[in-house]
Amino acid sequence: MEPWIRWLAAPACLVAAPVHAVQYLTVEQAQQALFPAAMRFAPQPLELSAAQIDAIEDLSGQRVRNAKPQVWRAFDGSRPAGWFFVDQVIGKHEFITYALALDADGAVRGIEVMDYRETYGGEIRNEAWRSQFAGKRQGDALKLGENIRNITGATLSCRNVTNGVKRLLAMHALLLRK
Amino acid sequence: MKPAEIRRCRPLLGTFVEITARGRRPAALERAVRRAFATIEALQALLSVHDPASEISRLNRQGHARACVVSRDAWRVLRAAALLSRQSGGAFDVTLGGGAAGLALLPGRRVRLARPLQVDLGGIAKGYCVDRAVHALVRGGAESGLVNAGGDLRAFGPRAFPLHVRHPDDPRRIFSLGEIRDAALATSASYATGHARCAGQLRDGRSGAPIPPGLSVSVRASSALLADALTKVVAAAGDRAEALLARYGAHAWVYAA
Repeated sequence: MEPWIRWLAAPACLVAAPVHAVQYLTVEQAQQALFPAAMRFAPQPLELSAAQIDAIEDLSGQRVRNAKPQVWRAFDGSRPAGWFFVDQVIGKHEFITYALALDADGAVRGIEVMDYRETYGGEIRNEAWRSQFAGKRQGDALKLGENIRNITGATLSCRNVTNGVKRLLAMHALLLRK
Repeated sequence: MKPAEIRRCRPLLGTFVEITARGRRPAALERAVRRAFATIEALQALLSVHDPASEISRLNRQGHARACVVSRDAWRVLRAAALLSRQSGGAFDVTLGGGAAGLALLPGRRVRLARPLQVDLGGIAKGYCVDRAVHALVRGGAESGLVNAGGDLRAFGPRAFPLHVRHPDDPRRIFSLGEIRDAALATSASYATGHARCAGQLRDGRSGAPIPPGLSVSVRASSALLADALTKVVAAAGDRAEALLARYGAHAWVYAA
């Protein structure tokens, strides 16, 4: 008979697990998920000037760290259906890529987390370490994610994503809305 | 045909809600997952105290002056909360100090507060949202899966999922609780350093005193609502929660620093 309450001698059963990481959606899958009807996504290359960065920061109250945001315009046939953004946010212990979809009027259509990585310690501040995320590390990270699937009691903050969305909405209002 | 599996994650309920679902028809599965997320969004709009337009916020403004009619969902959560409050001798309390007597549930889904009290469903609503999301997935044709709302989770179907919880003092370290199949698990922890905002501040419902840091309670139960609420009971009452756990066939793991 299993006891109703078990007091754990925690150190005996601890597993070292520095990173929890998982990929949910590729760019194409996120586009499909957020615009199921859209046929075509046209990249909208943007390079923010210092003045534009200032304006976005003033309007959103959020720091702009990336002068080259990833933006697509979604089309349903020839009719513009909205905007699609891929953005990254870095929290104290999280590195999150997410997609934001706005409809043609600029209202939020949906948000999907594309990938999520947890880190602890100083690694995230280290540029060289961070750049490893570009492609190569994905396989390793995913394997780790498979091993450590469901972390309960995780202290996952979604505030960084909320702030990222504020920043993208300001960018849309200032630069993309016609 | 090999079953398809999809895994999606959205920022909801002040955390990340992750849904894993497996089924035979990928298109139906996508629809079921979308519907499950939509269910959670709708419940959040009803039950959140952070949204001034929610039913609970309205109850907090008006409920002591007159009885408020609430939705079926809010009614279910309030009824479960009142029952658990009575059964736990007040260790579980959604009225922040009002106790079981603070909340009067009247015929016709009408709710009245005994005095100006603040109802906060933070200790139980997330679990209910997980339960409703699971229901939407099953109805949409998913054969097995898992809904995890930042640690409040429920697995359904024949598949078993491995489970881990964090060390309360050092979130880098993780301990294994084995596997979960067709059951729910919730964890409440008072983390030592700066994580309390996410983990939820634990308080003893009877004294209102914060539970000391370094305590982590996980409860496995038949529903996420029960698991969620029972973590608070165990955190506040310790071994005295045993009778209630036994009554619900629930199990608790407690780690105290």
